[in-house]
Amino acid sequence: MATEMSARDTRADTVMEVIRTRRVTRSFTAEPVSVDHLRTLLEAARWAVSAGNRRIHKFLVVRDPARIQLVRAVAPGMLAVPTALIVICTDTVKAAAEQVQLEKDSSTLIDVGTAAMNMMLAAHALGLGTCPVTSFSQSGVRTVLDLPDSLIPEFILLVGHRAPQRRVLRQGASTKLTVDDLTYWERYGHTTPE
Amino acid sequence: MSQGIVMSEEQAYALLAHLVVSAEICTFEPHYYGTFRLIDGASKLLEIMLAGGASDQAWLASFKQEIDQKKGWMMWDREGYFQFLHEAAGTLAGELKRRANRVDPEGVAATDGD
Repeated sequence: MATEMSARDTRADTVMEVIRTRRVTRSFTAEPVSVDHLRTLLEAARWAVSAGNRRIHKFLVVRDPARIQLVRAVAPGMLAVPTALIVICTDTVKAAAEQVQLEKDSSTLIDVGTAAMNMMLAAHALGLGTCPVTSFSQSGVRTVLDLPDSLIPEFILLVGHRAPQRRVLRQGASTKLTVDDLTYWERYGHTTPE
Repeated sequence: MSQGIVMSEEQAYALLAHLVVSAEICTFEPHYYGTFRLIDGASKLLEIMLAGGASDQAWLASFKQEIDQKKGWMMWDREGYFQFLHEAAGTLAGELKRRANRVDPEGVAATDGD
């Protein structure tokens, strides 16, 4: 019993450590990401929750530097230059087959988020850096990546090996949010569980 | 005499894409993101000016470094970020004034187009 508890605690500690120490990477080295590592990230995405197990998203991996630069040209949110991209796209044909109403159903984008988060955590556990990007032209990305009209690019994950980065903050800049800043218990306005 | 700089077609197209795509995504992103796209575009232009042989390399490099260090405050320190934008505008205005008042070796104040 004690051993089982200990193993569970260790696993929770490991997961929380990965969650707490992950940061957005805004500078990458030129070292390529291995196919094995990219496959691990895609495996992490595949295990993410998906509303109704509908699986209406496709993942496009881009490693060609020239194509990455083209995507960067139409993605102002892509400040860094990574060695790989994973573009999460909504497959509108699959969505239609699953009777998903894309304009009304928020779970579509939630599923993009869960897949992205799984990949970011897996990447961090592998020692890789990631940066999520949503500030891009969908039509631009679709054009430069030769995507069919049936695929909507929703999210771009930059993947690579982290380069040293230094964040310079103003003295007296805002402090970090706490769990209590974000949470109510039982009723709106109740900030403690008691 | 005002000095010309070299800008490649690739650099020009990259800047053009940044401007056009930023205009598109400004239609659905928070308005203050637009300020970020502009200041980020300024950083890209500074990079081109530096690589293209602009004079005042030291000032340009310093201004670019400050922009690149502080533009990220938009995400972590909004108040500091907006203050930085005011200061950056003032800093640039000061440089423009210095350039306008600069006296060339022949004793004539230099202006653009000289």
